[in-house]
Amino acid sequence: MKRASSFVWLADAACAVALAACLAASAQWVLSGQGERIPLLLSGLCLIAGVRALIQIIAVHIGEKDARSAKAGWRRLIWPAVLESPPGDRRMLGEAVADAVDRVEDLDGYYANFRPLRFAAVAAPLLIALAAAPASIIASAIMVGTLIPFAFGMALAGTAAARAARRQMDALGRLSGLFVDRVRALPVIVGFGAQDRVGRHLSDATRDVAERTISVLRIAFLSSAVMEFFAALSVALVAVYCGFNLLGLLPFPAPETLTLGEALFVLILAPEFYLPMRRLAAAYHDKQTGEAAMERLRSYEGAGEAPATPAKLSSPPELRFDAVKIAYEDVNIGPFSFTVPAGEMTALCAPSGFGKSSLLHAVLGLATVSEGRVVLDGEDGHLAILPGHVGWAGQSVAFIPGSLADNIRLARPDADDAAVEHAARLVGLGWLMDARGQGAGLHLDHRGSGLSGGERRRVALARVVLRDAPLWLLDEPTADLDAASAAEIGALLTELGRGRTILLATHNDLLAAQADHRVVLS
Amino acid sequence: MKQADLENMLKEAIGPQRATLRGAMASAAVAALVSVLLLGVSGWFLTGAAIAGLGGVAAVQAFNYLLPSAGIRLMAILRTVSRYGERYCGHRAALLALATVRGRLFTHIMRARDVRAFSAGDAVSRLVQDISALEDRLVRKPALPAALAGGVSGIALTALASLWAAAALALLLLVILLITKRFSPILLDRPAQNMADALGRLRTEMVGYAQASPEIVAYGMAPAIQVVLEKDADDLDAARLQLARGEALIANGLLTMGAGLAMAGVMALSDGASLPLRVLAVLASAGAVESLGGLVRGIMRDAVVRTGLARLEALGGTEIVSAEGGFRPRGQSITLPLPALSSSGAQGSRESVTIEAGQRLGIVGHSGCGKTRLVEALAGLRPEDAAGIRIDGEPLSACSLDDVRALFALSPQDAALLSGTVADNLRVAQAGLSDDLLWEALETACLADDVRAMGAGSEHGGLDHWVGDGGARLSGGQKKRLSLARALLVDRPWLLLDEPSEGLDRETEALLLTRLDEWLNKNGAGLILISHRPALLALCSEMLDFDDLSGANN
Repeated sequence: MKRASSFVWLADAACAVALAACLAASAQWVLSGQGERIPLLLSGLCLIAGVRALIQIIAVHIGEKDARSAKAGWRRLIWPAVLESPPGDRRMLGEAVADAVDRVEDLDGYYANFRPLRFAAVAAPLLIALAAAPASIIASAIMVGTLIPFAFGMALAGTAAARAARRQMDALGRLSGLFVDRVRALPVIVGFGAQDRVGRHLSDATRDVAERTISVLRIAFLSSAVMEFFAALSVALVAVYCGFNLLGLLPFPAPETLTLGEALFVLILAPEFYLPMRRLAAAYHDKQTGEAAMERLRSYEGAGEAPATPAKLSSPPELRFDAVKIAYEDVNIGPFSFTVPAGEMTALCAPSGFGKSSLLHAVLGLATVSEGRVVLDGEDGHLAILPGHVGWAGQSVAFIPGSLADNIRLARPDADDAAVEHAARLVGLGWLMDARGQGAGLHLDHRGSGLSGGERRRVALARVVLRDAPLWLLDEPTADLDAASAAEIGALLTELGRGRTILLATHNDLLAAQADHRVVLS
Repeated sequence: MKQADLENMLKEAIGPQRATLRGAMASAAVAALVSVLLLGVSGWFLTGAAIAGLGGVAAVQAFNYLLPSAGIRLMAILRTVSRYGERYCGHRAALLALATVRGRLFTHIMRARDVRAFSAGDAVSRLVQDISALEDRLVRKPALPAALAGGVSGIALTALASLWAAAALALLLLVILLITKRFSPILLDRPAQNMADALGRLRTEMVGYAQASPEIVAYGMAPAIQVVLEKDADDLDAARLQLARGEALIANGLLTMGAGLAMAGVMALSDGASLPLRVLAVLASAGAVESLGGLVRGIMRDAVVRTGLARLEALGGTEIVSAEGGFRPRGQSITLPLPALSSSGAQGSRESVTIEAGQRLGIVGHSGCGKTRLVEALAGLRPEDAAGIRIDGEPLSACSLDDVRALFALSPQDAALLSGTVADNLRVAQAGLSDDLLWEALETACLADDVRAMGAGSEHGGLDHWVGDGGARLSGGQKKRLSLARALLVDRPWLLLDEPSEGLDRETEALLLTRLDEWLNKNGAGLILISHRPALLALCSEMLDFDDLSGANN
């Protein structure tokens, strides 16, 4: 299938040969006074033109189909990596999304246009040169000879273009990142009256992307122009040679004497000889973009691969932090050593910015442990089985546009409505569901607008409850809550969390006091 | 924003690029003209040469071969140069114009009355993808002069051989364009729209999900989410295939078939002319059909352009802050409405609470009672929730929104940060703040020591430290304090703080209390503070308890 589109383009070249033959023959026949047979030739010509059009349509179809399956493969590679990338690792969310969506779409032209043409650009001209040889061996030689500077020019432009295309892609990603980021921060920007400054910054960024795109295009167009130039020059060379041959004015002894039909045949074929390469040249931008996109996408390779451990966490585990150090690019946290006993609640206390959240993230592999290790149930490397088997309530609670039920169900997609509602009521969301009169169908947007800070915490806790996992990781479950609500949540955790391993980070002394163990980082 | 406004914005953006665009159009015309001539003249030259060759030595010597053969080479060069000029100038003009449009549209978004309504994924879809769709329209502009030059020169050359053939060619070119115009919307509009929608959906969902990556990892949700996203991707691919096929059907079908028909037709109709002229006419007619290519593709691309325009209109369709009109408040007094019933059910004794400039009001109440909403409404960020709020005695809804926003320095509960450095985040407050001022604010917010430790020893430490995507590399408490420092840097009569000390240990909170008190005394700003933590509320002389409204305002 991969090569099917290439062969279709070869058939296109064969049609070109037939078309040229029809036309040349009709001119030859007029010259030799056989005009009466021309209508037959002309209807043949129309028929071939029709077939050729059909072939071209099929080629586009096959190319697009190939692109579709290729893109699906890339998506399977990139998406898990983007969806599971630690928030602290990302430069900007919008950049990652641009990679996952736009860079994959950038591959479309590469697979649909460039790839099939790359093969056809070599094979089809040879086919045409072969067809031209019986009519004029010299013209055929002229065509083949001009292939060499052609290929040379293309290779030369290629290296410079690749660099420029990469830079452009980076700038494009950054721009997407900026757009997403600044739209997210709109309330802050507007609140501070920073519209003008942000607007100028973004205008500069859009201009920067435009300038970079232009420099990429300039190289692509220049390569195209080089190729077109050689193509045009060779066509002219063929035309002049044939003309002088017909006139008998060649300055060298010609090995052949052409008839008008032969000369016309070669002349009409000459542009067709270069057509596949010109098409390739036109798809040159697709190539640059596609290759630069692939290079960016390859950086995700391996990042999102799920560990092949079918093991499941069946009982509450013990977690041991063994001189764990966590490193972001230039920030180091730790080393910390402590144990979270199985089936009990451990509170992690430390001043703000000390690394509590990072330690919780490290358990899930969302923060990189640079030294030391986190050991699960005394077994090294066992940590990899955790994702998917824990209850998690992070500091910032993520929302998707949809109902309250949809948002809670994220934790267990197969949960039925009753289970979801039960979890919601258990954590104290019943009041919200009743007050707004929509129950669990209450619609939420991407910001979770309309929910108070406390209600957000409760949605996260409802997820934990619904998941019913033996290990809970909770980051400041009572932040933004008033004392009474915090106490409620504390009681809830003690009750529902009984018999589970719970590691919670908190500043709340009352909550910490309820825990079976208290670890103070210092 | 209406389509007319959008068109205006486009027109203005193209303005500075007009010269470049004209260059592209001129180049395109030259390229098309030369292409047609090149083919035609080569054929004429060959045929003439063949006939002269047959005619013997005298005929050969009479045949002027120098001019045509030189002309052929010249035209080859001219065609290359003008093609390059067309492409380069056309794309340059389009890209620069659209960069301007992107900037302007974003500015338009920032003028929206309710900025909270925008979803990042959706907005970015439109700003990136739908504006790119407009690029096609600009890039294809030179197609019209190209088609005209190619068509007219083709018809003229054909007329040398036969007027009938020329008329037939003209008719054929017209029919090709008419069919394209007629069938493009039928074949392409729907796929173009489906494609744009699917791509927009995909991007919006990806933004939404990718924000939730910790949840996705914890709950192993990636496979389920991928199934959802793949559905959009499938829709996208299917629409793209349909679009490509439709375009091929029209473009390749009409142009390839048309070239064949033109050649056969001209050959058949130019019976009376000399053979060289016939060959010239035949090849020129094929060239004329080919020169319509750009225009045909341009007409087809209209489907994509129309979709992009429609989606952009929807983006611009939001209600924006009007520049003029409205009461201009100075923030001398603020009146907040109180619910008739306190959230604990008791009857409130007052309907509202009023504070004067420089006063400090603490707001407490159980989680979910609407404190955050009230403060955001007061800050001019929730115009729809502003009922009952008065500033200087006037209802907020009668005030100019820009002036309302300029009264308050808000540090919101979610402490939203930009993906940038510490300094980037602080300088949102005001342009041109010196490093010293930034450090001063960080000291007051009790974050200076943290910032000094950030990336210590690296060249991007301290104020130049990258805070991660939306501040992801800072702890919850650090984010709150950075947001607080930012609010301290903008010189406004009222400071609005929503849970500023959340995530702070007791000692730091006590320090913050002292420093904030000093700062408020020094600057004379008023304060409205929401907090669940009693310690910090000691800053406030007035209290508003949503759970106990009977004792409000004392």
